[in-house]
Amino acid sequence: MIRVILRKELLELRRSPVLLLSMISLPATVVVVPVALLAWMVHAAPEQALAFIQEIYGLRSSDPAAAGLAAIVGRNWLPMFLVLPIFLPIMLASQSIGGERERRTLEPLLAAPVSTASIILGKSLAALLPALAITWISAALFCLGIDAVAGQRVLPDAAWIFGVLVLTPLFALFGNAAAVVVSSRVLDSRAAQNLAATTVLPLLALLVVQLAGRIALGPRFYLGLAAGVAAADLALIALAVRLFDRERLLTRWR
Amino acid sequence: MSAIEAHGLGKSFGGRPACRDVSFAVERGEVFGFLGPNGAGKTTTLRMLAGLFAPDAGTARVAGCEIAPGRPGGLELRARVGLLTESPGFYDRLTARENLVHFARLQRAKEPVRRSEELLERFALRDHADRPFAELSRGMKQKLAIARALVHDPEVIFLDEPTVGLDPAATREVRNVIAELAAEHATIVLCTHHLDEVERVCSRAAFIAGRLVAVHEIRRETLLRIELAAPFQPDGVRGLCRSLRLDGNTLLIEPGAEVPDIVAALVGAGARIVAVAPHRDPLEDAWLELLAEAGGP
Repeated sequence: MIRVILRKELLELRRSPVLLLSMISLPATVVVVPVALLAWMVHAAPEQALAFIQEIYGLRSSDPAAAGLAAIVGRNWLPMFLVLPIFLPIMLASQSIGGERERRTLEPLLAAPVSTASIILGKSLAALLPALAITWISAALFCLGIDAVAGQRVLPDAAWIFGVLVLTPLFALFGNAAAVVVSSRVLDSRAAQNLAATTVLPLLALLVVQLAGRIALGPRFYLGLAAGVAAADLALIALAVRLFDRERLLTRWR
Repeated sequence: MSAIEAHGLGKSFGGRPACRDVSFAVERGEVFGFLGPNGAGKTTTLRMLAGLFAPDAGTARVAGCEIAPGRPGGLELRARVGLLTESPGFYDRLTARENLVHFARLQRAKEPVRRSEELLERFALRDHADRPFAELSRGMKQKLAIARALVHDPEVIFLDEPTVGLDPAATREVRNVIAELAAEHATIVLCTHHLDEVERVCSRAAFIAGRLVAVHEIRRETLLRIELAAPFQPDGVRGLCRSLRLDGNTLLIEPGAEVPDIVAALVGAGARIVAVAPHRDPLEDAWLELLAEAGGP
């Protein structure tokens, strides 16, 4: 049953060019903007600007400018690639329950002999797989772009490999579960999307603080983050199954 | 054993009763009408019987599965019944075929693709099967929804307002489909507020209005309604009638002979006839009486 639901969800996604486009536009920006910024810093930035950046991030002026800047951009931009796997499944998963209600397809789905766990798992996989695929492709393109501008291999470093392979699936699961939980309670896909999207705010805050040169997130932080998000994932999935109330979904419109 | 037995089913939402004390039974192969004004609890009762949620009170047995407070019947019940929901509820971007095959798989139909093709053919939808659902006409959408309710060969079929919102042509198409199913002796619960729909295909109908539920037999025999100018003792024509009822100046007869012979016998016996007309089963009268009893509509 999970496969049946997954297949239908992916087929619907393939037939929704606007949704696909909106899913791709954010990752494209996340890849292109920093790579372009790095290229400008390396090739066209005035001396004073470079000196300012080196001062903020504690770079020695004897370091090769391109590699040093590339490492900084890579380190500072990693949290953005943790925002992507939260944000992308939210776009899909918030549609999953609330959207079915709005399109009046929820009752036939609930009338079928399909368990709640199968519905949630099928819909979650349908949100997670495209989100992870897009995140990983974006991360690969980002690393290639940074390395090309730096003229040497800077990324992926250990933090990036850990971030992309371990943290992004965990965050994707988190974003999806948050969207499913919210979607099955607020009963309106747009409200679900907006509410679930607030879960990215702490990561965005970290990104801003790190960009400002106030902190430098290291391996210990990311390990701790992985443990915390994994625990939150388990709690949210359990909550999503518990809160999936068929009667409420069919009979409450507020 | 009956296909459906409901005993005192009740359900409230947020403290407001949606239906109370609903009791009735449906035999296998019977087409059973479920009548009631809007908000009388028809859909709620159907949803309970289809295993979508549990009742707050009462019990039911549907297709051999038990329903009780806290026990909505589960996967087994939902696999044994087919539900036509009030709104067709398909995915707009998927084609008619893709939608039907998807639900056939969800409903655990044997050979979902073959069964879907069979139903597309049966409901004359094959030529439109590769069009997105959003592009189908209302009638086609409703026929596809009926096909979904049948795709897993359910033991009991629940049809919730099958003709609501349809134009006359689509209504006729859908009614023909229901009549075909009835002729095949499917067990059907037809939920509607169209009395003529129930009169056409159902053998019995339950009325829900507030908490009142009464089950009414629907007579298929054509009665003859004879309006008389003055009271008359019809004993002389009893031999030509299967049944005969005199109500004031109106004579209701279930004919046991040709109508002209009955009329001639009445005239011969001295009756002064004003009008002769066929008389349909007075379901409407029963409905209005029950509504009045229940304090509605």
